[in-house]
Amino acid sequence: MLKLLVRRLLSALAVLFVVSFITFVVLLCIPGDAAQLVLGVDATPEKVAALREAMGLNEPWYIQYLDWIGGVLRGDWGTSYVYGENVWTLLCQRLPVTFSVALLSMLIAVVLSAVLGILAALKKDSPLDILARTVMQLGGALPSFWLAMLFMLFFASYLGWFPITGYTPMSEGFGACLRSIALPSFVLAIGELGILIRIVRSSMLTALDQDFMLSARVKGLPPRAAIVRYALRSAVIAPITISGMQLAKLLGGTVIVETIFALPGIGRLMLTAVEQRDITLLQGIVLFITSMVVLVSLVTDLIVMAVNPAIRTGEEAVSR
Amino acid sequence: MKQDAVLNIEGLTVRAASGDVLVRDVSLTLGAQECLGIAGESGSGKTVTAKSVLQLLPPDLRASARSLSVLGKDILSMTEPERRRFLGCEVGFVPQNTVAYLHPLIKVKRQLTDGYLCYHDTTKREALERAHGLLEQVGIRDASRVMESYPGELSGGMRQRVNIAMALMSDPKLIIADEPTTALDCVVQQQVVELFHSINTQRHVAIVMISHDLNLIRRYCHKVAVMYAGQVVETGDSQAVFTSPKHPYTKALLSVVPRVDQDPAARLSEIPGYVPETGRDTDECLFRPRCAECTQACSGAVRCLRGADRFVRCSKVCEEAGA
Repeated sequence: MLKLLVRRLLSALAVLFVVSFITFVVLLCIPGDAAQLVLGVDATPEKVAALREAMGLNEPWYIQYLDWIGGVLRGDWGTSYVYGENVWTLLCQRLPVTFSVALLSMLIAVVLSAVLGILAALKKDSPLDILARTVMQLGGALPSFWLAMLFMLFFASYLGWFPITGYTPMSEGFGACLRSIALPSFVLAIGELGILIRIVRSSMLTALDQDFMLSARVKGLPPRAAIVRYALRSAVIAPITISGMQLAKLLGGTVIVETIFALPGIGRLMLTAVEQRDITLLQGIVLFITSMVVLVSLVTDLIVMAVNPAIRTGEEAVSR
Repeated sequence: MKQDAVLNIEGLTVRAASGDVLVRDVSLTLGAQECLGIAGESGSGKTVTAKSVLQLLPPDLRASARSLSVLGKDILSMTEPERRRFLGCEVGFVPQNTVAYLHPLIKVKRQLTDGYLCYHDTTKREALERAHGLLEQVGIRDASRVMESYPGELSGGMRQRVNIAMALMSDPKLIIADEPTTALDCVVQQQVVELFHSINTQRHVAIVMISHDLNLIRRYCHKVAVMYAGQVVETGDSQAVFTSPKHPYTKALLSVVPRVDQDPAARLSEIPGYVPETGRDTDECLFRPRCAECTQACSGAVRCLRGADRFVRCSKVCEEAGA
């Protein structure tokens, strides 16, 4: 168990290192001079050259990389050209927005998909199952920008239940904050719901079809105990893994939904960084998103390990 | 019907939702402490019959019968809670598949005790002790370790022993075993069969054992029922049936059992043709297309010979017996 954990951590670190390297090299290759961008087109060549020297852009690429990664390890993520602020500070400003939207939308998606998916599997081909299958299709098919505008128009503009755009920080009250992120969270949740219901429903159907359900019947277990203790127990693993992946994706910020709802999150920060060629900021964001993905999948794996003894004991998976 | 019958089936018919008949007009009786073997090819309806008795059929199959009583109780008229209590307390079932019958993510000790705790007003501790004792009785030496294990950590033979212990938890008077040795290697097969034999003789539990293995039935079962295409074609005391089989199908089955003393170079014999999957809902003889002995008497509705200890579904046998 411990050995597995250490191995998992080491591989996570390796992934982070490789990603940081690839990001750096790729961004190095895009055309455009960072010093020129900072100073503008009117700057004299002397000034540009001086700034290049000051920014360390004349150093060989590996020295630049080592400088950057060394800084990151010391907690100095560099300074954004556009904002003139430390990248880490910028990320920390945007984090609460993206985090709260990501967590709320996953909460909505997980709860709804669990309820709908399980009931749909238990009552296969009933009207409820047909509803679940419809949501499954629609969730995957509806584009989020369209859904976002529709929700905005109806719930915010027509009904006035939620603010149309913008983010209210937690410091101004929990309710106000929740209302400001409710619509974007719902829009994102619907996108994730489609896949998640599908996974829950199909793993539940597989579990219900297993021989251990017969064993539960033979022992005379009441249906609810059989479903909760036997079927659900083996059906949760795949949905946990998938929702972990979805959460990791959402934590990296969602460009479209954040833009439409004017939420100052990681996604919009990234968009600005790309538009303005803010290489340092972009590097920082990519490294941050990768760290999020690695961290969340690590936690997901730990949860799955806790649920599945086969992994814990280092054996091949026993469940078919 | 015998008063002390553990199992009394009369005219059991199982239909699929599509209307196909899987099992037709099956009648079987089993006395207390007896062991009944059900033999037949794959697809002959052995498992469906056994599962009807325990009401464990999949939802798309429907069983109906003139009478279906187990331990003196009418199975078909039971309510759902009654049926659960009956399964949990009075009968046991041992499956063919040892891999998925135990839940892979739940410890053995919990799977052994959860059903027992549902229906017995007792402490968890007593249930665990009982499970531990039963594991030892079914021949598991390190019962404490097995109790703490997950099924994936056990071998197939061990899992089947756990399944048997699980069936014994509620002290059943009848155990139905559906090809309990199929997935096991032959040494373990032998051990498991011996275990069933001792459960039958020492704990006085009546056993219905479904098996392809005719030698096994011949050695351990008091009675045998031979099934073909969803019908019972011959029943009787197993010694009598095996020494003087009457139904042509029984004879054919016995003739294809390989013997140790046969010429290794010779081809193994077989019964030509297949078990019919459809068209079982008829009064005619279903074995006729494959029967080597069929005569003029065999057309039309099949006649049955009903002796005191013998039942044969064959017009030709009836004719010869002068019935």
